[in-house]
Formats: sequence, structure tokens, C-alpha cells
Amino acid sequence: MRRTVLRKLGIGWLLWPVFVVVVAMFSAAALTAREPADDLPDAAAGGALMLRGKGMAEELPAVRLATDIAVEVSGPVARFTVTQAFRNSSPRWMEATYLYPLPDDGAVDSLKMVVGGRIFVGRIKPREEARQIYEDALANGQKAGLVEEARANLFRNRVANVGPGETVLVQVEFQAPVRRAGGTYSLRMPLVAAPRYVPPRSLAGRTAVEDALDVTAPLAAPSIAGGLNPVSITVDLAPGYAPARIQSPYHRVVVTETGRNARRVALAGGGTAADRDFELRWQAPGTAPSFGLFRKRHGGLDYVMAAITPPSAGPQGEVPPREMVFVIDNSGSMAGESMRAARDSLIYALGTLRPQDRFNVIRFDDTMTELFRQPVAASADQVATAVRFAEALDAEGGTEMLPALQAALVDRRGGSGLRQVVFLTDGSLSNEAEMMSEIERGRGRSTVFMVGVGSAPNTYLMRRMAEAGRGTFTHIGVAGEAAERMQELLDRLTAPVARDLEVTVAGANLELAPRDLPDLYAGEPLVLLGRSRNLAGAVLTVSGTVGGNAWSQALRLDDAGESDAVAKLWASRRIAEVEARRWSGELDYEAADKAVEALGMDFHLVTARTSLVAVDETPTRPAGASLTHEELPLLLPAGWDFDALFGDQPSFDGTETADSEASQDAALELPQGGTGFASMMAQGLVLIALALALLALPRRRGRWSEA
Amino acid sequence: MSVPLARRAALLLAAAGLALLAQGLWIPVKAQVAQVLLDRAFERSVASGGPHKPWPWADTAPVARVEAARLGVGEVVLSGGSGEAMAFGPTELAGTQRGVRVLAGHRDTHFRFLRELRRGDRLVLRGIDGSAGDYRVIGVSTVRWDRFAYPLAPPRPLLALATCYPFDSDRPGPLRRVVWAERIA
Repeated sequence: MRRTVLRKLGIGWLLWPVFVVVVAMFSAAALTAREPADDLPDAAAGGALMLRGKGMAEELPAVRLATDIAVEVSGPVARFTVTQAFRNSSPRWMEATYLYPLPDDGAVDSLKMVVGGRIFVGRIKPREEARQIYEDALANGQKAGLVEEARANLFRNRVANVGPGETVLVQVEFQAPVRRAGGTYSLRMPLVAAPRYVPPRSLAGRTAVEDALDVTAPLAAPSIAGGLNPVSITVDLAPGYAPARIQSPYHRVVVTETGRNARRVALAGGGTAADRDFELRWQAPGTAPSFGLFRKRHGGLDYVMAAITPPSAGPQGEVPPREMVFVIDNSGSMAGESMRAARDSLIYALGTLRPQDRFNVIRFDDTMTELFRQPVAASADQVATAVRFAEALDAEGGTEMLPALQAALVDRRGGSGLRQVVFLTDGSLSNEAEMMSEIERGRGRSTVFMVGVGSAPNTYLMRRMAEAGRGTFTHIGVAGEAAERMQELLDRLTAPVARDLEVTVAGANLELAPRDLPDLYAGEPLVLLGRSRNLAGAVLTVSGTVGGNAWSQALRLDDAGESDAVAKLWASRRIAEVEARRWSGELDYEAADKAVEALGMDFHLVTARTSLVAVDETPTRPAGASLTHEELPLLLPAGWDFDALFGDQPSFDGTETADSEASQDAALELPQGGTGFASMMAQGLVLIALALALLALPRRRGRWSEA
Repeated sequence: MSVPLARRAALLLAAAGLALLAQGLWIPVKAQVAQVLLDRAFERSVASGGPHKPWPWADTAPVARVEAARLGVGEVVLSGGSGEAMAFGPTELAGTQRGVRVLAGHRDTHFRFLRELRRGDRLVLRGIDGSAGDYRVIGVSTVRWDRFAYPLAPPRPLLALATCYPFDSDRPGPLRRVVWAERIA
């Protein structure tokens, strides 16, 4: 019922080229009709749905917000101090709410609320308890601040009882590791929470809808956007060497030298609008140190962070032959843009195969097809067959990934060469636990790479699968970026630098996060975070295979620099792992909650289960004065088209809402509402007529030749 | 010499044409057959009070049935809003606020009747919980797919039926026809 007739016959690939040529010749218009009009990207065909229940703000908010961000980079860690000034410009008592993003791996550990020269320090509490404390204070007329996590990289600040004309400062601090790729170091600070796409499937039930509302905020209309939410940024760079070639790709900055190895970077002109991410890149002069080692003692345990760059494996000319298995999801949830992106990615990847490589393609929905019975040599013919196979894929049916995964992991040839499995999927499935254990058990010499396709793939699952399969996770949002992102991924795949990495510590047991170390690709350092009872005098040995040869490096932990950040980074990495295991079903919900709460309380971190709350014990709002709640509008990220989101509001007759407060609208995208079967049938009939004409033609010619 | 070649080409063309025809034909057939199965699943859902899948591997389940008495039309509405579910029946879009329900369907199968709906027409929306809501069509609007909005706090509950527009076109386009109805009982 769900297989198309074409696929059942197995001759779809044969028919399409014929069809395309003939129809192109006889009815170019009919062919273009099968494509959506060029200027109208039809994301709705993919079933994507944007929840913007909070609508837009047309009037300036009563509470104005200004943000200052100060970043200190010391060694491998950047410490961010974000100060949000909430100024109440109205004659009313206000409560304000602001939704803001932080880097993926940032962990908020400090909250300070400053009211008229007095500082209130936030305490970490389990989420419900923190909210109760805040709401009690709110009701009592006391000033209070609350930091809650909405998503791992999205936070919400609330500040209560800001008096008329008053300003309350809310300061949060967090840290994130400095990223390194090749010789370039970078840090990234997102400044705005983009309106989120929420897949309709995820909105089953009221709690899911509430959760989605939690990650959305009203958007500022262009008329009020100018000058709203200004941000100033200062970065103090002290990485331990003289940073060179400092660049900020999205903002104009001024760099001043503050010491031999220190630079200060500030925004040119002082401030900017919070509508795009801030990024800073720099390089180490000459030969960068091949490793960085830092430690910290916390709560009776030693924490260590090591960043190690293995030696490059000689000239990166010829890559040894490898076996690649591509697994493509063509289930119903992929319909539309996701399917196009996956198909384009696969076809791009097939084009990069070399004759000495072997490959196979597996497609799955609730059934599964292996293109070849076993991986075959990537000859031009075989690759062409695979491309045709990819082009004919339709998105239909359920998502049964397990059999495909099992088939992909079957390693018939064995040996020690490279075997890479590339998954192209949106990961909408419910049996994650089975997937995880299958990878753990059946991985063998295979490396599993996850390519998440579509606007909202199941990222946690895919990161976790890639981690278990020692590969990487890449996200492709739209078909347009398929080639670019696949190229990045495949470039890295061609040159795995170090494999089979292991870490041992003489005389101590090291608890690593992540627990399995990934293979390393060109330019990637190994960043490991671990903890142990006592690391004094211990030697940490990293070993593995680099370019086919055994390699190892020993680090004396007594040489490690002291860094306060290490323990907290370990904890936030561990929290991410617990969250991933929660979504993969490995940990049940309560156990994961408990583990996250324990880590949050222990390391003083804001998590899904713990929040920071600060309260001024003295009530300031006079009894009887009422409180107004306000959710501060966000700027639309640069490059987004406001009109496309909130343009013409459709006018429908009959219902005119009297209450102007309530006449707010919410937008919703409507899916594609036509199948186009009639033109498909018409084109079929044209082809048949054409065939009849062709058959009639030679007979007539034959008669003429007789005459 | 050219005869066998031409004949082979003709056969290929004919096969391609037939396949295309069959594929095109399959869509309305699938839509019809699915509704029969869905009707049954809907009845079972109403009887048991919980959603029943129409077939074991379905990603979707009936949530309601929308009926237009004047046109003698009744379609089972599915959960989800995914392109796949829409091949089988109209779907209810999730994520709307209280008081507004939005159904989407294909203009050339299940929601072809939208074309015939006029202001004042009565619609009935039956839920699998046995509830029935009476609605009256209050207007029709045509919007781009990404410029649709609904009132957050309508004075009366609203029902919006959405499909592709224009009706006679066979190409995917940006326009959607939305029929608005408000609850009268």
C-alpha cells in the first residue's frame, strides 16, 4: 500500500530518464509545474510548522534592556560575564522576562542581582523550589531574580518588582571551552534566540505545547526594533601566548594591546544590536603548543582537562582505500525539504568515491532495501546505478531504522581498513535504546557518522549515536546547503588522523566525559575531561594509532596549570551526556532528572533541573500597588525577513474582536495542499499517445517503401 | 533498421506512460481506500474513547471527523499534519492556541469540497471522545502559506479548513484557501 507501483516493479530508474527527456521536449511547461516556483521556497511541504504563539510586539516595552558582555579568555577557557540592565521606564511596578541564548557548552554558575548599590547573590536550588522562592518574593513585593534553563543553550531570566523609574542589574556568569580547529582558536557568543521551528509531531499534548512556548518569545516589530536591546562586548584575551590575526567576522572591533600576551577586543563604536552571533577568532603564533593541560581539585576529587593534538600523519596525499556504507531514511517524516536535502547529500557523497573504494547504499522506511548485496567497488557504472537509486527515492512509510543499522554494520570483509557508515536521517524514531545498544555491540571497525537532515532533527539522539559510533554529527537544514556541509564532512572523513584512542593514568582510575573517545580528523584536538580521586604525581598517557603507526604521549599531571573552570566543564559535559542518555532511553526519565539535579547542585550550575534564584529580603513594592508582567520582545536575527513572518494579516469577515488586548494574532504555516495527480495522469497519457504515434510511424514508412 | 529501435522506444514510452498513469491514479485511490479504513478506525476510536490506528504501521490516528451536511461530505481527520498523513486524509495542525483548530487537506482529494462551501454553511466536527461541535462558515480568505495567522483570543471558538489554491491548478504554489467557521453550538 505504501510502496509506489514504480518501486514495486523495480524499474523506476529506467523510466525516469526517458520520461524526463520526452516530457522536456514536448511540454517544458508541464515539467516545471512539478517543481515549486523558484522564488517561493516551500518549506511547508516538509510539514515544518513554526510556533509563534507569542506574536509580535508593536509598542516599545515598558522595561528597557541593555546588555554588557565581558569575556576573559585564560588558557583553554573563556569566562563570560553577562550583565543585563532592566530599566523600568513606566510609572508601574513591573516584572520582566527575557529569553536569551548561550553557547552550547556554556554552563551558568553564578547569578548576582544589583539593586541601587546592594548586591544579592543567587543560590542554586532545584527548579521547582527556586521557582517557588521567586514567586513568593514576587507576591510579597520583594525584588527577585531567577535564571532558568529552557534548553541546554537557551535560558530565561525573570526579574520581579522593578519600581517606577528603577534599574535592576542581573548578572550571570558562565564559562565555555575555547574551540580549536587547526591552528585557529575561536569563541562564539550567540546574542539572540532565533524563532524556533517546532515540528508538528513534537506538539502532541498540552505539556509539549507549553514546552514549546517556553522556548519562544514575542518579536519586536521593525518600527520599534531600532535601538532596542543594545549590547556591548569586551573580550580580554590572555591565552598564554601572544594571540595573532585576531578577527571578528560579524562585527567591527577595536583591538588594543594590554600586555605582552594580552589583548583587549571591544566593539567599534561601543555597542551593537542583539541580532546576530558574536564570534572572535585568533591564532597562536608559530608552532602552537601540541597540548594544554589543566586541573582543579573540587570536593575531594581531582579534575583534569587535556587538549592534545596528535602529530599529523605525514603528507596527506593518498588516502587508503575505504569501505563506505550510506544509509538514507526515506520515511514519511522526511517528506519534502528533508528528503531533497538527504538525496542531494547522498548524490554529492557518491560523486566523491574513488575506484579503489568500496561502497553500498541502504534505504529504509518501515521496509529496507540494500542496493547491492554487499559493498562493491566504486566503478563509474556502480556509482551511476547508486545515483539513479537515490534520485528515485520517495519519502513514505514509518521509520524502522534498526534493520538498516544492523545491515550497515555487517562487515563481510573484515580486516583493519577504514569502514565508515554515514546515516542521513531526521532521527524521528522511538526505539533509540535499541539503536544505541546495536551500535555499541555491532560497531566493530566501523565508524558511524550521523547527518541530521531537516529543520528539527532529533539532535540529541544523533549526537549520541555518533559518539557511540566514534564518528561525528553534522546538521543539514535545507537542500541548499547539502553540498557544502557534506563536503566539510567528507573532507574530514578522508583524513582520519588518529584512531583507537585510549587514555590511561598510572595508579589512578580516570572517569572520562565522554566515556568513549572519538577518532580524530584533520585539525581536531582531542579534548578530554576526566576526574579521579587523586592525580598528584600521576602520569596520563594517551595512546592510539596515527597514520597506521602506534602513537602515544605521556603527560605529567604535576605540570598541569590550575584552572577553576575544569571541574565545572567536566560537570557540564557530564550533564550533556546524561541528557543524551535520557533521550536515547538508556536512562529512565526520573533517574536522569536525579542525576542532572545532583550534578547541578554539586557544581552550582543552572541545568534543566536546577535554577539560580536571588531575593532581596526587604519588600519594596508598597502593599496594594499592582504588578505588571512583561515579556521583553526579541529582535529578529539579521537576515530574517520580518514581512515573510508577520506580513499581511489575513482579514476574515465576521469576527471582530472587541477587546484590543486580545486581538493579538498567532502565525501558523500551512502545509502543501495538493497532490497534483491529475497532471501526473495527463503526462502519462501524453507518453502513451506518443508511443502509439511512434508505433504507427514505421508501418506507414514501410508501406511507402513498398509502393 | 530503424523499425526495431523505434519500436523499442515506443514500448519504453508506453511503459513509462502507463507507470505514470498508474502512479497518478494511485493517489485518489489511496485517498479513497484510506478513508474507508479511517472511517472504521474512527468508529472504533469513538467506541473505545481512545485513538485507534487505521492500520498497524500507521504513523497517525484519527482525531475527529469533519462533516458538511449540505454537500453530503464527511472526512476523517488525522493527527499530525505531516505530508504523509495528508495523503490519507485531512490532518489537524498542532500548535494552535486554545479556541482555534486548523485542519489541512489536499485540494484535489479530501478537501475538494472546500470549493463549494459558502458563508452560512453548517459544519460538524465530531471528536473521538464522542463530542460534536456545530460550526457556521463565516468567511473565506486566501493567503500565502507563510502568512497565515489566527486570532489568539477569538470571541467564539474557530475552525479553519485550509487547502491549496487555486483549485484548478495542478502545480504546487504558495497560496492557500482558508475557510473560517465559528462555533455556534
